[in-house]
Amino acid sequence: MKRIEVKLAVPIVAPLLDVIREQAAGLRDALAGPTGLPDADPDLGESWGGELLEAQRSEIDALLGLFGEEFFREGAVSFDGDNAEVILRACAAVRLRLREHALKTLGDDTLETGELEISRLPRDVNRAFRCYVFLATLQEVIIQHLDESILGG
Amino acid sequence: MTKTVTLPKEDVRTETALGGPWRVVVLNDPVNLMSYVVLVFRKVFGFDDQTARRRMLEVHEQGRSVVWRGLREKAEAYVFTLQQWHLTAVLEPDEAN
Repeated sequence: MKRIEVKLAVPIVAPLLDVIREQAAGLRDALAGPTGLPDADPDLGESWGGELLEAQRSEIDALLGLFGEEFFREGAVSFDGDNAEVILRACAAVRLRLREHALKTLGDDTLETGELEISRLPRDVNRAFRCYVFLATLQEVIIQHLDESILGG
Repeated sequence: MTKTVTLPKEDVRTETALGGPWRVVVLNDPVNLMSYVVLVFRKVFGFDDQTARRRMLEVHEQGRSVVWRGLREKAEAYVFTLQQWHLTAVLEPDEAN
């Protein structure tokens, strides 16, 4: 099985983990994006949302699990065919939640283009935006190196 | 001799809605990466890379793309899977057909 290891600078990434943990807490009880069906009966709607939320919780647990003791000791995280898909989804969920909460003041155009002066952002927004970019970078690395594992899985 | 039976209108409409064609539409969002959307389309629908990129660009440039048409049950399953990947996917009656 193909496996990639990504070396990260712990002093730079550690503060971003606090942002991920804050957003993860919110993602335990609320879905990251709009969901549902038109004209769904209440039972189906409830089961639909419940299953999505359960899957989302597993994804978030997998993402947080990357940054345990080993990460702080070695400064590296690993991806393979077993975790690539859930980590990709978890990154998407956290990024979507950041857009709705910590980065709400930036506006969608700014988020899409990424054209802004990070140094001028208020401290909390600055940290949240760096986390947003960090998660996108993880996604890019996974897609670049493990797309065949994901498509074949 | 056959007796004419008038069916309740609501029942007829329900039957048509469930049995008729539906479409799965993916809407644009400013968050998910283009490469991510392409990967999801390839994974979920089995599109080749070119088709997946074309659909992704439709979403990006036009705000939406119809990615699948067919019966409601399967369309629901696709919408669920896309929502599991955190894409904004909706189900619509396929009125063109």
